[in-house]
This record gives sequence, structure tokens and C-alpha cells, in this order.
Amino acid sequence: MPSNQYSGTLTPKERTMRALAGEPVDRPPVTNPTNVATVELMDLVDAPFPDANRDPEMNARLAATGYTQLGYDAIMPYFSIIQESSALGCEMQWEGKDNWPTVRMSNPIWETADDIAMPDDFLSHQDNHAIVESIRILKQEFGNEVAIIGKAMGPWTLAYHVFGVEPFLLATVDDPDGVMDMLHRLKQFTIEFGMAQIEAGADALTLPDHATGDLVSGEYYRRFLLDLHQELVDELPVPLILHICGATVDRMPYVAQTGMAAFHFDSKNDPAESMDAVGDGIRLVGNINNPVTLYSKEPEDVRSEVNRALDAGVQMIAPECAIPLKTKLQNLLEIPRAVEDWAAERWEFSECH
Amino acid sequence: MPLVNEGLITEFEWVTKPGERKHIGDALELADELMQEIAYQLIIGKHLEVDRLTKEALESGYTANHILDNGLLNGMAIVGVKFRDNVIFVPEVLVAARAMKAGMAHIEPILSASGVEPIGTVIMGTVKGDLHDIGKNLCIMMLRGAGFVVHDLGVDTSPEEFADAVVEHGAQVIGMSALLTTTMPNMGRTISYFEDIGMRDEVRVMVGGAPVTRDFADEMGADGYGENAVECVDTAHELLQLLKELGSSS
Repeated sequence: MPSNQYSGTLTPKERTMRALAGEPVDRPPVTNPTNVATVELMDLVDAPFPDANRDPEMNARLAATGYTQLGYDAIMPYFSIIQESSALGCEMQWEGKDNWPTVRMSNPIWETADDIAMPDDFLSHQDNHAIVESIRILKQEFGNEVAIIGKAMGPWTLAYHVFGVEPFLLATVDDPDGVMDMLHRLKQFTIEFGMAQIEAGADALTLPDHATGDLVSGEYYRRFLLDLHQELVDELPVPLILHICGATVDRMPYVAQTGMAAFHFDSKNDPAESMDAVGDGIRLVGNINNPVTLYSKEPEDVRSEVNRALDAGVQMIAPECAIPLKTKLQNLLEIPRAVEDWAAERWEFSECH
Repeated sequence: MPLVNEGLITEFEWVTKPGERKHIGDALELADELMQEIAYQLIIGKHLEVDRLTKEALESGYTANHILDNGLLNGMAIVGVKFRDNVIFVPEVLVAARAMKAGMAHIEPILSASGVEPIGTVIMGTVKGDLHDIGKNLCIMMLRGAGFVVHDLGVDTSPEEFADAVVEHGAQVIGMSALLTTTMPNMGRTISYFEDIGMRDEVRVMVGGAPVTRDFADEMGADGYGENAVECVDTAHELLQLLKELGSSS
């Protein structure tokens, strides 16, 4: 049995940052590239949705629970995917405490690439300001011990919000060159917001860019996004975690060429098959199922999925995506416990994954 | 007549399952050259061509039903197979759907005026908190093409809105869609609402959407699940049949 003598020697921040860099760790970190806020946690720290998305102090209180209550190795203060789009002027539906805020994509704000313009108040807008200031607060309070992960939407996701999903996807067929132009122009928002979070203290950034297999082909990813994502790696000087929901094995070989630190993948993808698909090109984070396992099953089912991912060689464990807000805490708490137990039996610090 | 349209012959090669190949192949044999061309232009998403050809066909004396069955729906059947088998994805389906819509713009008014009895009535909506509608809209288009009357409640649909629509339209089936793992549980809440108000036995519930699986559908207590728009139509047929059997046995 491998020695476990080094388990617990790293801080959560060291563990996360080393894993993102592909360096040896005392155990695989439990990270949080999207969100683990729940209604129970909102009640615990008096920071309910939707206000916790828009107020920096409330946001920081709720985000911190990912570490203080759940024991994860990273804190994620950007819970949703809509902050930049709100700042750009998209029509919002803020919902209540138990539902996610969302963009009314059926009423898009722009039609063509020429409509894309940086608003004067992009960073000072309440909804972007809330995230940046929350990171500043969290950095001050937890910056030495736990990784603070920011989030900036990629151009493809922003395109859904500002142009509408259907018009945008139709444009990819009708006018692919025009779509490339759109994506290049939208990239400025990713960089601007990402840099603001890095300056505020973010140790890494999640970059959700939903070119999912549920909507588009792997070839689409290569054609429209691979170069752009490589450019974002050059522009944003922290480890980047690409997040794409859904079935993505067909595009993982391209994702592995982006130069990003990690890919946050969905439970629709088999962990072992995914590891084969990315090879040594990128590390994987994931992929505990949300709607069935975390939301409605029991801790032993969570444990079984954690073990399956770790056995396959997945380097960082996390829920596959933002979780349903009424997910049971006992299931979220089971993730770090299961990782600890797995590592105690099977992990060696000298293992370099 | 045999397939003569070269583009359609190539497209038909994507249909590989023996049962489907026979089913679609038999239907294509009823299509003459013009209907084959309509089907092909629909598959490749040329909406202006489908618009023009459908209009021409009607002017030449083809019936609306004939064009729907032998042109448009033959095309959509192959689109559905290609989509299910990951040969094409949503953008390609959207352009085909746009072409279907262009043809239906000529066909639908004629069918509506003819007073043909619908197969059944379906209420469709994306669940509360979810504003995505592409998948739902594709399902609606396929259901209408198959002869169902569909009432579209749009996005962000509350359990109360689903229930009200069932009462208002006398629907036998409701279809719920969700694209987000965060909103999928609202399918279960809607089903629970139907139980709470004593309407669960009056209606059959089918669910679908990119992250929705058959396991999840079972877990939520749905009666049927469709992985894609083609399966949605099959599921609606099955649920209706089930209701009829229950009705005749009681």
C-alpha cells in the first residue's frame, strides 16, 4: 500500500495550485470551479439569492462557506454565469432564493458584431463590481490558506446571452466569418473582467464557454474556439480552468491543446475515457453528477462516484457544474470525506499527476 | 418510385439501423422527384428553396398532406436520425427546422382549414427558472408535423401554468424541457404539484432536455422520456396509446 505520510501537509491553497500546475500533492484537491452555494448555506450566513449575487459582502459570506462549512480546497465567489451579461445590459431574471438568476436570451441586446461595444461602466457596474470586491474581501480573509478562484465567461457563452442562442447558432451556419468576428470582439469582456479579478486577488480563473456537445460538434470547438482559448491563456496570467457542460469527449483532444491548466468536465463523460482523450495535455476536474447523485441520492452514491473518478486518474474532484440550490449538504460534505479516505488508502505524495 | 435524388441518396446512407432504414426507405418510395428534392433541400437547410418548392408543389396540384408526408417529414426523419447519432448538431438542425417552417408556412393554413381530427393535444413548456427553448421548439415542430395539436407555454413555466393549460385545452400529455442541471428538479416539483391538486391521473408527463436522462425522468416520476425531438414524438404516441388502453379497460 502506498505511503500516506504526507497527507495533510499542504494548505488547501497549495494543494489546489499545485494540482493545477501538475505538481505533486498530498491528496487530490476538492475544488469548486463553478458553484456550491445552496439554500441551506444561504440561511446559515444570511446571504440569500438573488442579493448574494449582487452585494460584495453577502457574496463573500456565502462563497466562504465552500471552505468554512464544506471543507473544499477552493472558494468560488461567482455563483452563476450572468454577471458580465447583466453589466452589458442584457435583460435579467433575478429569480428568488431557490432559483438561479438567468439572462432572458429571447430578448437579445445585439444583432451583429458591429453592435458589440464596451460600456463605460463595465467594471463598475454593480454585478461585476460585486464579484471583484468579494474577491478582495475573500483574499484578505482567506488568501493565504485557500485558493480563490474567479470566473470570467468566454466569448461563446457571452454570445448566447447577447445575441440569443438560436440566432447565434444559426449565424454559425449562415455566416461563420461573421461569427469569428463576433467572438474576437467579445473576447475583450473576458479579458477585462478576468484581469480585474486577478488584480483583486484571484489565484485562478474558471472560463465557462459552453460549446457543449449537446449543442455543437467537436469540430465546431476546433474551428471557432481553439485559437481563441489559446489567446486567452496568453492574456490572463493565472491558471485557467475551462468549463464546458455536457458530452465533451469528442473535443477533449482539442481542449488539451489550449494550454489551460485544467478542464472541468461533466458526468456525461466517462472519467477513464476522458483521461484517455486529454492524455497529458490538460488536467481534469470533475465530474460528480449534480441532478441525480448530489441532488437526490445518498452519501454512499456520492462516495462511489468520487472513487470512480479518482480511480480513473482525475486530478481534482468537484461537482460537475453549478449545483441545484436545494442540494443536500450531507452529499456535498461527502465529497471531501470520500477523497480523504481514498487518498489515505491509495495515494502517495510523490505521485505526480 | 426509387430514390433518384443524388443528394438524398447520400443523406439516406446515414440511416443505418435496419428497422429505421426500412421505415424511412418505404416512406421515401412514395416520394416522387419533387418530393425528394423538397426533402433534400430541407435536410441541408435551404429554407428559401423549400419555400419555393413547396409553393410550386401546391400550385401544381399536390395536396398539403402529400407534401407534408412525402417531402417535409421525410426530410425531418433523416435530420432526426442524423441528430440522434451525432452526425449533425443543433445549428444544422436549426437550419433544417427553419426550412421546415418555410414549407409549413404554406401547408399549415390548408391543414388547419381542412378540419382534420388531431391525434392528441400536448402542452409543452420549459420548466420554471429555465429560459432555454431550442430543444422544446424542435419537439413542438416535430409533434405538430406528426399531427398533434401543441400548446406552447414558452419558457419559465410554473407548475400552476402547466396545470391551467391542461384544463383549458383538455390536453392528454404535457412535455417539460430543461437545459440546466440547476432547473431540472423543477420537473419533479411540477409532477408533485399535479399530484397535490389531484390531476396526476388525468395527464401523462414526458420530459426531456440536454442534461435529462431516463434515470432522472424515472426518479422524478415522469411517465415518458425523449432523448431528442424524434423520440419525443414516439413518446407522445406511446403515452396517448397508454391513456387509451387505460380508458378502455376502466
